[in-house]
Amino acid sequence: MNQEPKSPAAESAPQPRRGGGIIGKKLPRPDRSPSVQSYVPEIAKGMGVLLDHFFRNTRDMVFGQRNDPVLEALEPGINTISYPEQKRPYPERFRGLHRLTTREDGSPRCVACLCCSTACPAQCIYIEPAEYPEGDARRGYERYPARFVIDELRCIFCGFCVEACPCDAIRMDTGAHAVPYDSRDQFVYHKDLLLSFANRRGDHQTRNPRAESPDPGWPGIDRLGKHG
Amino acid sequence: MPMFKLDGKEVPFQPGDTIIRAAARAGIDIPHYCWHPGLSVAANCRMCLVEILPEPGRKALSLDVLSWDPASGSLRPKRKPKLQPACQIPATDGMVVLSDQSPHVLEARAAVQEFLLLNHPVDCPICDQAGECKLQDYWLAHQRTGKRMRDEIVHKPKAVSFGPTIVYDAERCIVCTRCVRFCAEIAKDPVLEKRERGNLSEIAVSPGRQLDHPYSLMTEHVCPVGALTSKDFRFKARVWFLRSAKSVCQGCATGCNAWLDFDPRYQRAYRYRPRDNEQVNGHWMCDEGMLSYRSAHKERIVDATIERKQVRVEAAIARAAELLSALPLERSAVVLSAQHSNEDNFALVTLAKSHLGIGEFFLAGKPWGEGDAILRNADKNPNTAGANDVATTTPPRPFDQLVQAIEDGRITHVIALGSAVPMDDERARAALKKLRVLISIATWDGALPACGTVVLPACSWAEADGTWVNAKRIAQRSLRALQPAGNARPGWELVARIGSSMQFPMKWARLQDVHRAMAPEAGAIAAPSPEP
Repeated sequence: MNQEPKSPAAESAPQPRRGGGIIGKKLPRPDRSPSVQSYVPEIAKGMGVLLDHFFRNTRDMVFGQRNDPVLEALEPGINTISYPEQKRPYPERFRGLHRLTTREDGSPRCVACLCCSTACPAQCIYIEPAEYPEGDARRGYERYPARFVIDELRCIFCGFCVEACPCDAIRMDTGAHAVPYDSRDQFVYHKDLLLSFANRRGDHQTRNPRAESPDPGWPGIDRLGKHG
Repeated sequence: MPMFKLDGKEVPFQPGDTIIRAAARAGIDIPHYCWHPGLSVAANCRMCLVEILPEPGRKALSLDVLSWDPASGSLRPKRKPKLQPACQIPATDGMVVLSDQSPHVLEARAAVQEFLLLNHPVDCPICDQAGECKLQDYWLAHQRTGKRMRDEIVHKPKAVSFGPTIVYDAERCIVCTRCVRFCAEIAKDPVLEKRERGNLSEIAVSPGRQLDHPYSLMTEHVCPVGALTSKDFRFKARVWFLRSAKSVCQGCATGCNAWLDFDPRYQRAYRYRPRDNEQVNGHWMCDEGMLSYRSAHKERIVDATIERKQVRVEAAIARAAELLSALPLERSAVVLSAQHSNEDNFALVTLAKSHLGIGEFFLAGKPWGEGDAILRNADKNPNTAGANDVATTTPPRPFDQLVQAIEDGRITHVIALGSAVPMDDERARAALKKLRVLISIATWDGALPACGTVVLPACSWAEADGTWVNAKRIAQRSLRALQPAGNARPGWELVARIGSSMQFPMKWARLQDVHRAMAPEAGAIAAPSPEP
């Protein structure tokens, strides 16, 4: 610290006051009359509002005039949703839990290209690629994910993985979100679980099919026949 | 030096240089597929076309073409300059070449790209070349349009096994014939050839043969696209996740310069790639060397043991120091290792000779194998020359003399660096078991650590910086890629810790400390030879 010698002029100059107590408007103390202190009128007022809602809701329910609580209701009234038995519908493009789509034979569509885990800004996708076993028609052309792990806690649900996927193998159209679990490792979803999720129509496949192994458009087929 | 002008820049060249070679030497990249600095010129990819301006006073070489005129909606006759392949035209003094500055060249590059990708399956997600593919790079740099052909592409064989190491995909192949030329010119085994013509052409193996010469993995490396993939690397990793460390191949005494590609997230090495060095390996490596990256993880010793019982490294060092302080000098010997770097060997020599006073040095290492006149050396140890250099006044003697001495009972105490022994493994083990004390500093399983009283885990070459001297006596530095496996520490550090716990002045904390200690007596071996 620099300790400069104080000049006599600085010493004699008037110092501004600091920390001079609380400065503000003085308010009158609240009324401490018996009616306020006993809370009785305020309780009665509150009960009035409550009973008003109670009778109005009961009337609406009896006459069938109550808004459907699940649908987005813009009409005035009380919309109480009994979650989780009743749920608001999510919008069509809601990004929910991931699922892995399947081919028609039920095998995962994923070719373990790692595009999703490359695109993932949260780095929550781990894939271990493996080659199809000997004798499989896809051996030599493609690989498949031996392990496919998504940490749903780390996921920020940005949807980049879905956009990056060239095979439409990962989608976020389950319309569901992760339910609360007891421990963190239960949020780490593995391949089988991700494959078991269906989309909202209960479908495990994708709505964007592409040429697969038996189709003539499949790139793996040696059409000329004379090669090999 | 003669000069020519490339895009207005003066480029020097040596007589006989082609335009592309002179440009590459000057650090200017002319896009190319089929040209490779180490191979002959094929000029078949047409990607390196450049415009060469005529000499003053002479007419330009030009072609009559029909070009689309959008204003009138018809084709109009036009003249355009005849472009020439930069890989084939020799540079001449005062030549004026336009590459990036010529609109005709840019147009030609985009057209060539579109042609090369015409029948390409565009299966980048399942292609192992993705990320280091010239087709991807040049599409982005020179094309950036979709193809206009709407027809079904020509289908060709996929996943054809060319041999034990290579898989071929004809649909991805651009038939640049780099692999064909490599096999014929460098590997001296012309086993690949081009067959069929036009868009049906593909690479084929000679009938009755396989691509099984000792340089087959290099065909994958020279392939600019994903047509040839190595069975070892394919489907294992994506290249954009890998980082590269400057390394020196550990496969033999040639000491090829290499990149060790590893995934820093999983601390795993995935492959070796040659690193260009004209003095040592040119652009090439052999299969054996390229696969030697595996020993970074295979058969490793990662824990210290005393009498086969796993202990902490500190305890093993303390025990080693205790054993060494009661050493009968006349019955003791030191084993240096041709598998360890100069630094490791120097540390052991310093401890044994300068501080303990042992005079008997022997050299261990892997047994010799097959060699050839191209790259492979019969000496399968990366640092035989360096280990011999380190013990300047007492050159290490062959290992079988040590075994003989142990069998005769003349040697009972040994400090050994290294794992493998260059002789009959059974006989070596039988002899080493007779030793009263064997302090072994080892990286891999082998006869020496298997018989060790105290075993200390040393880092592999991939886990520590080190200097290696090859058969041509060129000292080369290889840099660390991975974190040490398990409890392994660099060999020199383990030796230095033994020394300093015996109160010897060996307080080396960093590699620079070792190099500083090496300088006065060892001179050149501490410093790598200058890189080209």
